[in-house]
Amino acid sequence: MRHRVKPVVLLCAVAGTVALAACGAKTNSSSTSSGSSTAAKGGKQGGSLTVVLNSGYDGAWPAGLDPVTNTNGAANQSLMNSIYGQLIELHEGGKLVPGLASAFKFSNGGKTFTLTIRPGVKFSDGTPFTAQVVADHINKVLKSPCTCRPTWPVKTVKASGDDVVIDFAAVYAPAAASFIDSNANWVPSPTAFKKLGERKFRVMPVGAGPFTVVSDKLSSQIVLKRNPTYFKKGRPFLDQLTFKSIGGDEAAYQALQAGQAQAYENLSTPSLIDQMKKDPKLQVTQQLSTSPYNIQLNTNAPPFNNPKAREAIYYATDSEAIRSKLFQNRYPSTQGFTAPGGLFFSADVPGYRTYDLAKAKALVKELGGLKTQLGTINVLVAKQTTQALASQWAQAGIKTDIKSYDLGPLIQAFQSKKWTAMLQTAGSYDPAAGVGVAFRYASQSPFSGVHDKKLDAMLGQAAGTLDQGQRKTLYDQAAKYMNDKAYSPFLFAFAPASAAAKGVTGPGLTTALTAVVVTPSILYDEVSMGGGGSA
Amino acid sequence: MTDQAVRPGPALALRSPALRLIGNRLATAVPVLWGVTFLTFAVIQLLPGDAAQQLLGINATQEQLREFRDKLNLDDSFLVRYFHWLGDVLTGNLGNSLASDQPVTSIISDGLPTTLELLLYALVISLALTVPIALLAARNPGGFVDRVGMVTSMAGLSVANYVLAVVLVYVFAVKLGWLPAIYTNNTGTLGELVKSLTLPALSIGFPLFCFYTRLLRADVLEQMQGEDYVVTAKAKGVGPWRVLVRHALPNSLFGLLTIVALNLGTLIGATVIIEQIFAVPGIGHSLLEAINNRDVPVVEGIVLVLAVIVVVANLLADVLYAVLDPRIRYGRSAS
Amino acid sequence: MGAQLPEAEAGGAAATLAVAPTVAEPSARRGWTRNLDVIIPGALIGLLLFLCFVWPLFGTVPPPTGGNILDANIPSFSPGHPLGTDQVGNDLWSRLLYGGRNSLEIAFAVNVIGLVVGGLLGAFAAFWGSFTDTVIMRVLDVLIAFPSLVLALAIAQSLGPSKLHTIYALSFFSVPAFARLARAQTLRLRERPFMLAARLAGTRAPRILLRHITPNIMPALVTFGLLGIGVTIILEGALSFLGLGIPPPQPSWGNMIFDGQAVLSAEPKLVLLPSAFLFVTVLAFNLLGDALRARGNAS
Repeated sequence: MRHRVKPVVLLCAVAGTVALAACGAKTNSSSTSSGSSTAAKGGKQGGSLTVVLNSGYDGAWPAGLDPVTNTNGAANQSLMNSIYGQLIELHEGGKLVPGLASAFKFSNGGKTFTLTIRPGVKFSDGTPFTAQVVADHINKVLKSPCTCRPTWPVKTVKASGDDVVIDFAAVYAPAAASFIDSNANWVPSPTAFKKLGERKFRVMPVGAGPFTVVSDKLSSQIVLKRNPTYFKKGRPFLDQLTFKSIGGDEAAYQALQAGQAQAYENLSTPSLIDQMKKDPKLQVTQQLSTSPYNIQLNTNAPPFNNPKAREAIYYATDSEAIRSKLFQNRYPSTQGFTAPGGLFFSADVPGYRTYDLAKAKALVKELGGLKTQLGTINVLVAKQTTQALASQWAQAGIKTDIKSYDLGPLIQAFQSKKWTAMLQTAGSYDPAAGVGVAFRYASQSPFSGVHDKKLDAMLGQAAGTLDQGQRKTLYDQAAKYMNDKAYSPFLFAFAPASAAAKGVTGPGLTTALTAVVVTPSILYDEVSMGGGGSA
Repeated sequence: MTDQAVRPGPALALRSPALRLIGNRLATAVPVLWGVTFLTFAVIQLLPGDAAQQLLGINATQEQLREFRDKLNLDDSFLVRYFHWLGDVLTGNLGNSLASDQPVTSIISDGLPTTLELLLYALVISLALTVPIALLAARNPGGFVDRVGMVTSMAGLSVANYVLAVVLVYVFAVKLGWLPAIYTNNTGTLGELVKSLTLPALSIGFPLFCFYTRLLRADVLEQMQGEDYVVTAKAKGVGPWRVLVRHALPNSLFGLLTIVALNLGTLIGATVIIEQIFAVPGIGHSLLEAINNRDVPVVEGIVLVLAVIVVVANLLADVLYAVLDPRIRYGRSAS
Repeated sequence: MGAQLPEAEAGGAAATLAVAPTVAEPSARRGWTRNLDVIIPGALIGLLLFLCFVWPLFGTVPPPTGGNILDANIPSFSPGHPLGTDQVGNDLWSRLLYGGRNSLEIAFAVNVIGLVVGGLLGAFAAFWGSFTDTVIMRVLDVLIAFPSLVLALAIAQSLGPSKLHTIYALSFFSVPAFARLARAQTLRLRERPFMLAARLAGTRAPRILLRHITPNIMPALVTFGLLGIGVTIILEGALSFLGLGIPPPQPSWGNMIFDGQAVLSAEPKLVLLPSAFLFVTVLAFNLLGDALRARGNAS
């Protein structure tokens, strides 16, 4: 089917600021580590795993897999992590753990971030993995014309011995978190890059990760085999890892049933989740939510430049009905941009406008009618939600035109500034990173419908301090402020599920992992087929 | 008309009317090919939406946008761009993908063989079924095979190929597990390829079979009942099967092959949908991907290649028909 | 081109279903039973048209869109919802009827356009012959060679999917097919005595076209159109698979099948019901067209 099911996140991929994960600590001085810290019990060695991916989101890598140019980086995290490994990793419970970087810490009051690169590590082609290589890579990524470059407030990045020292222009609390799912986290081999040339490298990349590339057909299938020189001893468990792109949840289910695949990331269709849970040959694991569904309203143009119109939307939206009937009560409701799987979660926002049809009707009458478009990404559940919303709003006299977009046209719609309302997700593990709040509500973001200096200041402050308590207070204030101004109704904290055949174990596949950008970064170096503990 | 007692089989005797016809056909193919390139270019270029902005994204600066547009000569006039593109095409340069920077020719050469394999497989299935069934039906019009065949083919024609695909996957892949639900190519063996492509080829091939059977049957019957040589052969005591297979069939097959060629455009459309359903990494899949991403060079390249294939196939069919159809060969009025 | 089958002339997508002339066999039946092959599909089509276009006007059929989410997934045979509801609360029976209306409207429109525009083009080309003929035929060849699906996709992408745009897109398939058929039919007529007589009598061209050619080629065109309706409905469904066709929440059988197959394992009826309606409708049109063609050939 042409319309691939895309999980609600989408934007992160192209917008490029990918980031997230928790800052985790007041000081965030992380442990030095051994690579196998969480890989406790150890799984069974060997085996070949086929993972199917949604052709609309994680199963599309049209730009290739070079981190400097991969516009879909955040969506392709499974592929990128498997090929390149990660400087910093995100494990269960939102713990930021050293990967190829053996340690990381803040200093200078939070304005300097230092990564210590593990000595003695080599890329799969034998090139030494040094701090200089990493620093060069980060600089290259920051300067690339790609939309996928991280937008960190960086002053300089330098290598000094085994350390990579990043100086920020201001205190940047989400610094460590921002590595996860960002193209800076994945370091390519400079020798391979030079040898193959940029064009070929995109298709046959070389990194220091658990697997190396055997064959790659862009956006269709990629075959990986274990890297014997991977720095974590005894990892990966799998001999071969294949990623295949298919049309959607139903196609994935059929592939799993037919035994052609043993794992599927990003399951979102509620009725299929139920079906698959009943299947004795499969295991379905709900992941942790960090990004609530929200309805963005464009306050820069009619009709939503009028606060009464925005309020009408709040009152006309019965999110409880949608949450319970369409999503079968799976996800907790939320009134702000934080979610239970992420930091600083507050379920309720004081003064939130809940469903009240009478008030909605009155407001619409006062306005003399209300007409709007409601767009969303081309994913089944998202489309169904817009249909449900349109029906609800119709009861209040609001006329809605629903529209669904693929990722590319969706971005264009935002850029054209002609949108009026969009159903999206907002929020990430650390709200200051990636597709967090600023992405959708700060003035300078092209994906925002809000231009409010006061809100900008609040969000900026919250990102600029390392004090967790203070950050929570600031985010609570921001959520209340957003509600007072009726900028954007929130629905519930969505998170996808992972499905795997019995016998497969792995973090993010058979255990719940914190999602960085809606979908968790499954740790394929810890995935095994049969036996062993969950890692 | 009376100088042929028995209609000769398909011999390749080239006579001047035939040669003239070939020359004619070749000459007309050229403007058609040109028209196809023009239409391809025009349609894609007229798609609204700024490719530059789309692909470079929101963070692109004005400078980068300008550079990108220059690279693609987007600011030149339509005709200039067309001739520029045409010139490149004629030297074999189809440009590079805007998304992945890979040469369009390599994208096409990756996907085209798989699509052609699928098409070939579908055609083989359909023709392998068509010939025996149509013959059996024509042998005994009104008989059991004929009736059942006609009913089945009518039903088969009325089923959408995407519905058939969904049903086939559900029954044979999910429930019975006999065949794969999606295309796999792990070992690269022929056996695996055939298994992977069977359900997709069936989805395309079964409605085709229904269509061809009715055509072939009708044409064979028409010949058996109408042509002089058939009557003569029967009078001479030649067995009905022999007449069917040795004489009626080859002539009817030409008509059928012409239709196969004419239908190629539609067939390619069917392949695009089926490739999506079964995740077959063919050229249809690449095309949809490219249209979605507004990857203009890829779309132009693939559409052009497909259109050229169809034109050439039609040309060959026309030529073959002209050369082998005895009626034309012997100078009967051809139009 | 006289050596080729008329279906070969037709080309294009519509020819996919162009059924060969069935050899006329004298029927042994008497009276109206002799016409069963026309009556049965005709009645079926009549019933379908009634259900889709007339019944919702005065029958108690809820609207096909705007369903309350609280009504989602109601099973079949429930009060008020004979076939149950879909996943967002719309009544399934209603969606089938209105979807049929949309699908049939598109199919009729496309084939009428094809018949009129294509028929005229083809008849013109054959009538005037030589240069005009060649030019028109070559242009049509280009259109036929062009993977029409891409054209359809391009149109929908640029203009946005809608019923009207779907009609435009699909007309690119039907016009060349009808043109080729009309041309072949007209060519056959050219040498007939009555044509020569008309020309000798000095009848002007438009008159000839109108009074002589049109009535004679119409039966073949109409029959072809009937078969084309089935093809067009199926094609519209195919476009929905690729993101075109009628945009949700408006139903069409095609987009219902597309949405339904995304949850096939959980709710098979969402695919089975529209597929069944689609099949029966296309079958009825095919049977009717086939029967009329058999008559046409017998005469």
